[in-house]
Amino acid sequence: MDGLTPPEHGGDLAQAIARYRIPAAGWLDLSAAINPEPYAVPPLPAAVFQHLPSNDDAVTAAAVDYYGVPASDAARSIVAAAGSQALIQWLPLLRRHCRVAIPAIGYREHAFRWRCAGHEVIEYDAGVAHAVDEVLRQNIDVLVVINPNNPLTTVYEPARLLGWLQTLQRRGGWLVVDEAFMDATPAHSLADKVGAPGLIVLRSLGKFFGLAGVRCGFALCESSLAATLRAAVGPWPLSGPTAFVAEQALRDRAWQQRARQRLAMHSRACAEAVVAALGGKGAVSRADLFVSAALPAEEARAVQEALARCGIWVRLIELDLQRALLRFGVLAPGDAWLRLQAALERVPA
Amino acid sequence: MSYAVLATVGALLFDRWWGEPHRWHPLIGFGRAADWLESRLNRGNQRRWRGVLALALMLLPLLLISAGLQMLLLAISPWWFTLVAALVVYVCIGRRSLGEHARAVALALRAVDLPAARNAVGRIVSRDTQALDARAISAATAESVLENGSDAVIASLFWFAVAGIPGVVMHRAANTLDAMWGYRNTRFFYFGWAAARFDDVLNYLPARLTACAYAVCGHCADALRCWARQARHWSSPNAGPVMAAGAGALRIRLGGDASYGGARETRPVLGCDREPRPQDVERALRLLDRAIVLCLLLWACVVVMWRLL
Repeated sequence: MDGLTPPEHGGDLAQAIARYRIPAAGWLDLSAAINPEPYAVPPLPAAVFQHLPSNDDAVTAAAVDYYGVPASDAARSIVAAAGSQALIQWLPLLRRHCRVAIPAIGYREHAFRWRCAGHEVIEYDAGVAHAVDEVLRQNIDVLVVINPNNPLTTVYEPARLLGWLQTLQRRGGWLVVDEAFMDATPAHSLADKVGAPGLIVLRSLGKFFGLAGVRCGFALCESSLAATLRAAVGPWPLSGPTAFVAEQALRDRAWQQRARQRLAMHSRACAEAVVAALGGKGAVSRADLFVSAALPAEEARAVQEALARCGIWVRLIELDLQRALLRFGVLAPGDAWLRLQAALERVPA
Repeated sequence: MSYAVLATVGALLFDRWWGEPHRWHPLIGFGRAADWLESRLNRGNQRRWRGVLALALMLLPLLLISAGLQMLLLAISPWWFTLVAALVVYVCIGRRSLGEHARAVALALRAVDLPAARNAVGRIVSRDTQALDARAISAATAESVLENGSDAVIASLFWFAVAGIPGVVMHRAANTLDAMWGYRNTRFFYFGWAAARFDDVLNYLPARLTACAYAVCGHCADALRCWARQARHWSSPNAGPVMAAGAGALRIRLGGDASYGGARETRPVLGCDREPRPQDVERALRLLDRAIVLCLLLWACVVVMWRLL
């Protein structure tokens, strides 16, 4: 890893605490994009702490059902790990030197881990309509797509992704689709195409279920690659408590259905408040767990600053030298919501 | 001045008879020149000033030529001026082509042919159209009619009324350059600034005139209320009043979510009452026509009063 610094994560609330001299408890932290109404963790039986997780068949079966992996050898097409992060770290180690296309804006660990493993990384702009088609012309072996893109909110239609997969298959390449934010819109997922050579779908329980702390993620891919990945990750990839909570969450259809409806409502309300405050200055777009406003960089900084003075911390992502994105994690109705609305109304026009 | 009113009526009739000029459109050559100039100037430092220079290089020659032409024509005979001005204004406006494109969408919707409607609406708006339903297609088309009615018809006529042939030519040229360069992306953020701001300035009054005309020709109180409350939230300072007043005048709801290049953009809601239906495309076109006639009558009144005074 010589010469490469690991990317920083999170919205850096610590920096904000120091800079604005507001103690941690005084902040409304919207810099994360995680379900504000997380899955309620059931009481854990003592046994899950006391024994080695006997086998993760139960979780795997629940995941197969939930993600809709096609039936033939479905259970062999799925690999559990301690968060999709663990899988992102392993994938580059399973290929010989190759050319990898990765979105310039999005989860930074993809590019970092492929670079660490010695691969050549080419970045594309996921905010530009035909950027992927263009980058694919440059002899790419592995294409990483974050769908929907966080923070850009770009969504790729399954038909386009399958077209790119065909191109990559001809070279024995991979299409890695990071679907960390896909749970609220399963119709756009490629999970039901798993088994196709070279297709790898990454999923996580961190965002939609709001269970970032359980560290549970899955790779869905053809069974031969899944076997290699499973061997690489090693035995007992999920802790006993994690496996227990994950199985419950993946099986709770009623909760999932309600969460989808509520997130759609919260995200719409949040986007409308942001549009009313900032719509005149830039473009506001939304995914189910966050709302992003693209603004001229200096205005974005001014808005972030104005909100911070009210004790509200949002994430600022620089798109280029001129433009920046402000990302608001969606929040549920309540005191926090009223506080955001009041602060947004006070943002100078 | 009265000859200019006559020329405008002539231009609207030409537009009605002939539609958009197909074989030889001067805007194509203008667009090529603009592309070439951008490739030479949009590089290095001081992009904002290079953008100002490019705008001046594109507009000043046109201004001189059209002003010279106008003086020459007026010196020969006001009737020559009327004829040539009618042809120039005809080339600069696009009422019928706007209607044809919008009506193609409405026809496909009426035949419940969603794929055809999506393709047809894709020709007039820049958003992603492949996932739109009938409501969203009607909304996108109505938005396009209301906004282009201001940019492509009423604003051009306004500048013709104010400054004659140079006025209408400048407006069309500035509007075209804004459509080519006026983006807030990496490539055009600084270079396109001048074109975008100049277009904003030129359209400031015409957009508000159009909004007033929509209000008078439709549900007036709703239009004015929507304009006052909603327009400032819209990302473009001129499209805001036009579309808010237009949607209010038609009592339909426009704006809201739309997808551009895969990103779901949330725009302010404009208008009131109910969701748009396919019939609202026709209603928007009729509203635009009434607004055009109203503006013409207003102009004719001003001319007559001028004479009497």
